[in-house]
Amino acid sequence: MSEKTTQQTQTAQPDADPSPTTTTGETVEQTRDEWTDYEFRGETKIAVEDLDVHYGDDHALKGVSMEIPEKSVTALIGPSGCGKSTYLRSLNRMNDRVSSARIDGSVRLDGREIYQDGVNLVELRKRVGMVFQSPNPFPKTIRENIAYGPKKHGDLETGLLARLLNRSDADERDELVERCLRDAALWDEVSDRLDDNALGLSGGQQQRLCIARCLSVDPEVILMDEPASALDPIATAKIEDLIDDLAEEYTVVIVTHNMQQAARISDQTAVFLTGGELVEYGDTDQVFENPHSERVEDYITGKFG
Amino acid sequence: MADASQTDAKLVESETTETDAVAGVAVGLSAVLFSLSVAAMFERVSLTGSLLGLPTVTLLGGLLTALGVAVVAFGAGSRLGYVETDPDPSAGLVAGFGAAVPWIVVGGSVASQTLALGTAVGVVAGMAVGGVAFALTVLPREDVGSTLPLGSLLALTGLVFLTGVIGPAWVWELDWAQQAAITAEFLIPVATLFSALYGGWASAKAYGGFGARGRHMGAYVLVYLNALSIVAFLFILVAFVVVQGIPGLLNGVELGLGSGPQTTILGVSVTLPVSVPFVMNGVALFNDFQGVLPAIVGTVWLVLGAVVLAVPLGVGAALFLTEYADRGRFTQVVEIATNGLWSTPSIVFGLFGFAFLIPRFGNGKSLLSGMVTLGFMLLPLVVITSREAMLSVPDEYRDASAALGVSKWQTIRSVVLPAALPGVVTGVILGVGRIAGETAPILLTMAGGTFVPGSQTVDVLGSFQFTSAPPFVANPALLEATSALPYQLYALISAGVGASSNVGNADEFRWATALVLLVVVLSFYAIGIATRYYFRRRLKHT
Repeated sequence: MSEKTTQQTQTAQPDADPSPTTTTGETVEQTRDEWTDYEFRGETKIAVEDLDVHYGDDHALKGVSMEIPEKSVTALIGPSGCGKSTYLRSLNRMNDRVSSARIDGSVRLDGREIYQDGVNLVELRKRVGMVFQSPNPFPKTIRENIAYGPKKHGDLETGLLARLLNRSDADERDELVERCLRDAALWDEVSDRLDDNALGLSGGQQQRLCIARCLSVDPEVILMDEPASALDPIATAKIEDLIDDLAEEYTVVIVTHNMQQAARISDQTAVFLTGGELVEYGDTDQVFENPHSERVEDYITGKFG
Repeated sequence: MADASQTDAKLVESETTETDAVAGVAVGLSAVLFSLSVAAMFERVSLTGSLLGLPTVTLLGGLLTALGVAVVAFGAGSRLGYVETDPDPSAGLVAGFGAAVPWIVVGGSVASQTLALGTAVGVVAGMAVGGVAFALTVLPREDVGSTLPLGSLLALTGLVFLTGVIGPAWVWELDWAQQAAITAEFLIPVATLFSALYGGWASAKAYGGFGARGRHMGAYVLVYLNALSIVAFLFILVAFVVVQGIPGLLNGVELGLGSGPQTTILGVSVTLPVSVPFVMNGVALFNDFQGVLPAIVGTVWLVLGAVVLAVPLGVGAALFLTEYADRGRFTQVVEIATNGLWSTPSIVFGLFGFAFLIPRFGNGKSLLSGMVTLGFMLLPLVVITSREAMLSVPDEYRDASAALGVSKWQTIRSVVLPAALPGVVTGVILGVGRIAGETAPILLTMAGGTFVPGSQTVDVLGSFQFTSAPPFVANPALLEATSALPYQLYALISAGVGASSNVGNADEFRWATALVLLVVVLSFYAIGIATRYYFRRRLKHT
């Protein structure tokens, strides 16, 4: 309560305010740790502490700390270039693939540090799956797309040798394909053309196929990077319904530009603002209806960003 | 109301009028002239003979004159308001230079040669005439500018042919220093060709009613005629070789059961039902018909060997450069080196093989040296094209695979390589097309002979032997001098007429060899294109 009042006083009298200013002379609101302290019920799935990410000289993420609860939907919102995608990609170490990236801080999955020597990236990425902004199915059949991950991990053997030795897992594979496609709400649309090339599907179907492919390796966390931004409203609605269902079993972390979408589907929301700062993190209703930060309020109501 | 109807008339072009028909006929006439000139250039139409009852040159002259007059008349009609067009204020600088060039040539040649005024006057006169043509194109309104200079050029050329100033027997002896002459056989087709292009351009502009639409039509006709001429030249080239080569190839062909030689296919002895001696025999004293079988087999093994050597190396290098090496100084150097290697003249590769490989492979020209030399030639193109193909595989695929926890090598094998394969195959096709016909390197590294006996047909598969000493496997066939088609063709040509005693008609023999070489190279192409089609279809959605 008192914080908010102070805040308003500060902006009312910018000249008298001693808070730091940017080069343009604009007053910068001082962020407070309390705004990101979010007390949730349930278990912590991912705990991030003081996460800093640099791309070369660019400081993309500044000391972010937040805990993500299990089996819920966490939305990350903020203007372009605010570091929310960087944050997301830090959770399954996809940033390792960028050679200029330097990552400091700690990310713990179920209490185990993932930024330390000896972490098995294969195992990590199996447990923390990812869906990308634009649908990116492989130029293979629908069946092969789903079976790709398990096959490469050696969980399914359907190759020529396996068939010759009569230990092909074709049946297991088909069960897996059906289960993943059903979970991704795509089975009814494609069950009769599993051997067609996945690139022949519509954009929305492709994205659900990518979600199904992600489910095929049995993840615990699903990271989604603006999964609906390339889709039309109907396909978007389907994806949103799907995310709702997935949250019963999986921990979903989703980056979105669409504020209504974040409000609709998420249980808690984290707001990143320009400069790679986590400004506010809390219950979605609280963040959208009664944000602590004035900048967050401005962003949510569309005054800037 | 009047305004509205006028706008309508402009928006919706009225049906074909007589004037449109005139311009259309002019465009068609240019196309006919263009094909006639190409045919005449390749002597498919005789300049001394006659066509449609008229002497060919007279016919060409008449058509050119008619075309020129039609074009000029159309322009004049448009300027005087008889024809409804939509011209710009000027035909533009490009059209100006386009019209100036032929007029410079005409003015210069007439002044210096026909009027014998000397080179200096010729240059001045050429510039003056060209300048007038330029001014006449650029200064008046577009309908006159783009028809008058070109139309009168056509009419002039046509009249020169019509009046017989330049007839079929015309020759222009150049200076003794150049020891050459320009004959009517060359000049008439070339002049007609260019006149037809200009005529087509001008009449297409007229057909489009000048202005933006007219220029579009003009460009369209020019580009279309160009594309057509490429196809025509290719077709003529192939047809020429086929026509010349067929008699030699079909020499002594027999059809029917048991007429062919005996061969073993997959361990079963079969008598082929057809006999084509030219591709089934070598050269021998008692052969009824001589052939080039050793060279065909040599070429096939040569190309296979080069591909087997170059493709794994090249694809591997490309993989390293795109997927593993950081993009920096080192990859740049490798890139420059591969590009440089690709532009290295083939004779230099041949010299390398001659000086470096031959002393190491049994000190004599051999099939193996040829394979390795051509493999080195093929390598840079395989690297370049495979690299391009792998770079064009979207990073999203790699991300998606990595996000599933799949390792880098498995990603490359299961996602990147399949997606890049069509591009890789394209590179191999292009490379094989180049090396299969390469003469210089094999001249230095594997040679062979002018007339190769059938007994020298290389048998690579059957020559593997096990030995008691390391390396335990030997293949003498690889170390023997072997003939290949390009080299044999070269040897046949340089052997001259003295060769005829051996093979009956030496000329037929040569052309047939050329035809077989063409067919072998084209079959490698066909195999490559079929492979690429197969891999592409696996990637594309069905």
